[in-house]
Amino acid sequence: MTDVTTPDARLRGLDDNAFRSRYGCDRFTATVISNRFRYIVEHLCADLLHNAFSPVLREWYDFATTICGPPEIGYPTPAVSNSLVVFIGTMTDAVKNLVEEYGIDRLQEGDVLIGNDPYRYGTHVNDVVFVRPVFDDGALIGFVNFKAHQLDMGGVVPGGFSGTKRNVYENGLVLPPRPLYLAGEPVQETWSLLLENIRFADLVALDMQTICRGLELGERLLKESVARYGLEAMLGAMRYATDAGAERMADAIEELPDGDWEGEALLDCDGVDDLEEYVVRARVIKRGRNVEVDLSGSSRQARTSVNGTVLDAKTAVAVAFKYLFDPHGTFTSGAIRPIDILLPEQTVMSALPPNGVVFLFWDATNLIVSAILQAFAAPLGRLAVAGDMGSTNLHNASGFYEDGTQWVSAIECGGEHGPWGATHAGDGDSYTFHFQLNNLDPALESIESSSPVIITRREYVPDTSGPGENRGGAAVLKDSYWLEPAEHHSMALRFKRPSGFGVQGGGEGMNGGVWLWAPSSEPGVRLISVEPEAYHDATPVSGWLDPETNELSRETGAYKFFADPPVHNTEVGASFRYVTNAGGGWGDPLDRDPARVRDDVRDGYVTIGGAARDYGVVVVGDPDEYPEDVAVDVGATAELRASLRGEPSAR
Amino acid sequence: MFGVDVGGTFTDVVAVRDGVIEVTKVPTDASSPQAAVLEGAARLDVAGAQVFNHASTHGLNAIITRRLPKVGFLTTEGHRDMLDAGRAWRPFDGQTNPHWRRSFGDAARPLVPRYLRRGVRERISHDGTELIGLDEQQARHELAVLSRCGVAGVAICLLHSYVDPAHEQRLLALAREVLGDIPVSISSAVSPLAKEYVRASTTVIDVFMRLIYTGYATELDAKLGDLGFAGAFNFADCAATLMPWQHALDQAHRIVFAGPAGGTMASARLGRATGETNVVCCDVGGTSTDVSLVLDGAPVLNTTFELEHDMVINALSAEVTSVGAGGGSIVAVAPSGSLVVGPASAGANPGPACYGRGGTAPTVTDACLLMGILDPDGFAGGEIKLDIDAARSAFEGLDTPLPFEERVRSAYRIAVSNIGEEITNIAIRHGLDPRELTLMAYGAAGPMLLAATMDDVGLGRVVVPPHPGLFSALGLLSTDFVHLESRSKYLVLSEDTADEVETIYIDLERRLRERVGEISGAVTVRRTFDGRLLGQTWEMPFVHVPDGAVTPASVPAVVTSFHDEYERRFGQRFADLPVQGVTYRVELIIEAPKYDHPELAPGAGQELEPSRIVELMGPAGAPLAAGLYQRDTLAAGDRLTGPAVVREALSTTVVMPGQVARIGSRGEIIVEPEPNGSAA
Repeated sequence: MTDVTTPDARLRGLDDNAFRSRYGCDRFTATVISNRFRYIVEHLCADLLHNAFSPVLREWYDFATTICGPPEIGYPTPAVSNSLVVFIGTMTDAVKNLVEEYGIDRLQEGDVLIGNDPYRYGTHVNDVVFVRPVFDDGALIGFVNFKAHQLDMGGVVPGGFSGTKRNVYENGLVLPPRPLYLAGEPVQETWSLLLENIRFADLVALDMQTICRGLELGERLLKESVARYGLEAMLGAMRYATDAGAERMADAIEELPDGDWEGEALLDCDGVDDLEEYVVRARVIKRGRNVEVDLSGSSRQARTSVNGTVLDAKTAVAVAFKYLFDPHGTFTSGAIRPIDILLPEQTVMSALPPNGVVFLFWDATNLIVSAILQAFAAPLGRLAVAGDMGSTNLHNASGFYEDGTQWVSAIECGGEHGPWGATHAGDGDSYTFHFQLNNLDPALESIESSSPVIITRREYVPDTSGPGENRGGAAVLKDSYWLEPAEHHSMALRFKRPSGFGVQGGGEGMNGGVWLWAPSSEPGVRLISVEPEAYHDATPVSGWLDPETNELSRETGAYKFFADPPVHNTEVGASFRYVTNAGGGWGDPLDRDPARVRDDVRDGYVTIGGAARDYGVVVVGDPDEYPEDVAVDVGATAELRASLRGEPSAR
Repeated sequence: MFGVDVGGTFTDVVAVRDGVIEVTKVPTDASSPQAAVLEGAARLDVAGAQVFNHASTHGLNAIITRRLPKVGFLTTEGHRDMLDAGRAWRPFDGQTNPHWRRSFGDAARPLVPRYLRRGVRERISHDGTELIGLDEQQARHELAVLSRCGVAGVAICLLHSYVDPAHEQRLLALAREVLGDIPVSISSAVSPLAKEYVRASTTVIDVFMRLIYTGYATELDAKLGDLGFAGAFNFADCAATLMPWQHALDQAHRIVFAGPAGGTMASARLGRATGETNVVCCDVGGTSTDVSLVLDGAPVLNTTFELEHDMVINALSAEVTSVGAGGGSIVAVAPSGSLVVGPASAGANPGPACYGRGGTAPTVTDACLLMGILDPDGFAGGEIKLDIDAARSAFEGLDTPLPFEERVRSAYRIAVSNIGEEITNIAIRHGLDPRELTLMAYGAAGPMLLAATMDDVGLGRVVVPPHPGLFSALGLLSTDFVHLESRSKYLVLSEDTADEVETIYIDLERRLRERVGEISGAVTVRRTFDGRLLGQTWEMPFVHVPDGAVTPASVPAVVTSFHDEYERRFGQRFADLPVQGVTYRVELIIEAPKYDHPELAPGAGQELEPSRIVELMGPAGAPLAAGLYQRDTLAAGDRLTGPAVVREALSTTVVMPGQVARIGSRGEIIVEPEPNGSAA
């Protein structure tokens, strides 16, 4: 499962000769080449980002690049781009599975192979893997690789994003490994097969050309490094970088006392009904420098496209451990080496075709991150990490302009961005991505220039953060007003239970919801208020919503699931609102410095009522009109905190 | 001619009179930075000088330390959190780090706290349609809140204001009514470009710079007058081009990062005099090495840059990248056992161990001393005696099995390699072949490290200019006035849109000429545009517009110019795809008086004999017997062969084995690989 075995001796303890005999070069050269790998992948990414045509690549950075070594040293991946974490973890296996099935003996200089089958390569069908073998003097010395989200891959939903597709045939075109270029010549039948089965083929063709040009650049740079430092040193540096990644992880794991711990997280349901919940249970068994993550006991695969694959599960485990144990080091294929994973087939994160259909895999496998973070919360103590927004709450809309051309707006008008949980380092940021993603956020002005939509609000919601000595990030509210008739798919998958769990005595972040407003009879753009009354004429889409008022409420609400109905067809002037889940708190909120609570009231993150209820801090004043005059009533706060501490059941 | 570079620790003042350079260094007092400037001006007698060109990092330091005045931010209702969100992107260090926080976010250190970020009801669409009229009553209400909070300035950025500035302009008038005469910056005037966060961020920086520099510049202007100065007082911007100080205050975001580009400009100037048009500029300082690029004789500029991760500013700036390898960079042992150099630095205080000011960590300077490159008695003109024992015990203290000499050699090699890798990185980014590049080696520590990169990187030659330690400051005397205007409009370039494009250019130029007023001196007007293939979202900047008006007849040449440039930069030509113009730029370039390094009298053109031989610890292993030379004895055309050490008062140049050096017409030392020789 992993690239090479960890050496017995610690890297630090190796003397020069031992180092040289293991890695074929001195330490200094190994470090230089490792850094070079990293900036090579950055150049390839910058090239694609700046020259891509599809919004999903050029605005979202929905792609990744890696360099990896040749088969005989186990495809070590010493450098990955600073982009989608969900991609980079799958890439080592994706390249291996792709070239071995195609046939390593058939590879020649100038080939580019592609494939997109999630069960072979991880992630989903829109993510096409592009692999270019690199030769030096006739010998295969490694691979330069892209995984890039293509704007469309066919299937029943334009753009593909949906949680309601029921089998792989609805999902999109599946490509087993095949050549896109052979010895530098384009393979026309592959281009035709792909481009004639997808929407927006013109754009996708341009993007693919740009990707292939980037692969050529990567090949050239890798060969230049070999010319400069020699092949043995380059391969040695690949192994050194991954060994160092494995050693950092194992060192950090070793510092924890041995033990067994458990955590779990929940995906609300699939797209069929809300009767079946999908639970990921992680039992972590830590001994010495190793950990086993036992995921058996998790739910069976879902009936619609909310599943992930085993490669995505492996990535999520690696990501969770990176967050907890090696947050600063770069991600390499070595990170997973000290970890064994036990995962039965056909769970929600190890789905199989044809019915375990995969699209929103990152939300399914983010359950693994949530569960592992919770499992380690107690043993890590102060270093525990509170929960994040959980789901990316995607929104996908499409339709036809008056002249008949089709448009699609993908992953830009839902609740894609939101908060992180708190840690000892401070409050959570309110505007980031869930733990497994790292992307650019498209400018609203760009979104509105390319899609028929007005983003009327994008702001934080008070009193949503999980309270704590450090509080979670606040929920993000985003309103979209649609200028064309459209077909909408809404994909918020984690509203049932708070994803923003608290740690170290911190509280849970509030859960979010989704609403739809039919076009108003009044002309013009509708700016929907954030006051409770605004929800009264809304149509509930998902979340715990009060049947009378449509307001969010865990107490009085009825749970509404995302696929009821699976598609919303709207006329000009409809509006959607997404409110994300909020991040969890870290530490006892009664220990939060009252001055910080006062500032939160002044800044609108917490209301005066919330300050008293969640933090036991009595704040007086008018934060809207006289923000600098709000103040803490010190005496009343002391009294309230004492009474709250004396009655833990009141909290 | 005066050039003044206000740094956080010292204010450097350079005066050139009749070709003679005088220099003084005054400690900067952060609470009153103008005092050091005036002190330096008085010391070198500013009376009668023609120009006083000024660059400062004071504004940048205020941003980075958040010692900032209180400002308000007004935007479209519902969008005030754009300043917290940025572009959401995390840096490499935040990719899987749960403790990472956006440095300017509300959870860390915001530039404008959330309660001073207020929404105003209004909305304009991307095509300029007014969707919701400006609610003036509500706007006044929000302004009243800012007034009660006592803001010193306001930044205004409304969505799509780059298409139609009407709402911002009206809001500016309302702000004046409610708040009185305080600085108010509106995004449609500061940076009328699409993508709201960066425009907003630029506007916020603009109002901060106006607040920080207005009183300062006004006072300097008056007090320089008191010292008898009657010439032109100018500010340098992030591209090291000049603006009269009053104009600088009108576009204050342009001066936030002035300084680092000075060396780039000086390299371009010296390169022009000596026939070097493609130059990698390396400024080795105490903490880091700044690397920038001159191509075809002009500094390579970016249209945006970051002050902190994702704190983006729309302004032309020299593309400067920093690598943590300077003279004070600390040598340490990583957990995996490798030696590492930087990014930690001993700084100016305590400085390298050999300074004897209490520093105990080994640094690159300590390594150079132990290798025999630096002269313990002759450092900094003899002002600092270097303590070789302190350097030795610092290296002995490293927790590593490496033998002593290997530690020292590795430290030098790693510092050189870090710089070399950054040069390679930049060459890759710009698609350049390092063999066709000349490296300009400056900063006091540059000449002792940079010739050693030549072999690693495969550079054509390394040039050490005269006065390498003052080279950046002289850059302020190597530059022109550049006035510029730009505007965004998405237009597919075609016969149908040619007239509209021309109208934009004419209007931009008219505004420039109005702003500048009467011009004395040679003027160049340059038109460029930022464009993209239709469907792309990131623009390729500075596409050359062929001379003459843009007309239906000439527009194909503009389109071809784009395709040519695209092919040159990215290696592909999509000639069938339409080209979309995004931002149109006009520069008005007015020549300013400049300093040129004087010609050096030619010598006999002989291979020189060294004054003596010194033994160096060789970076590659074996000891080196290096010839020693004094720079002030060298004449143009003189030649010497490495290994060699050339000493001057404030700097030391190392020529490696396998390299030869000759002295150029301006006194520059030109180091090249030995012809037909094998590099060591």
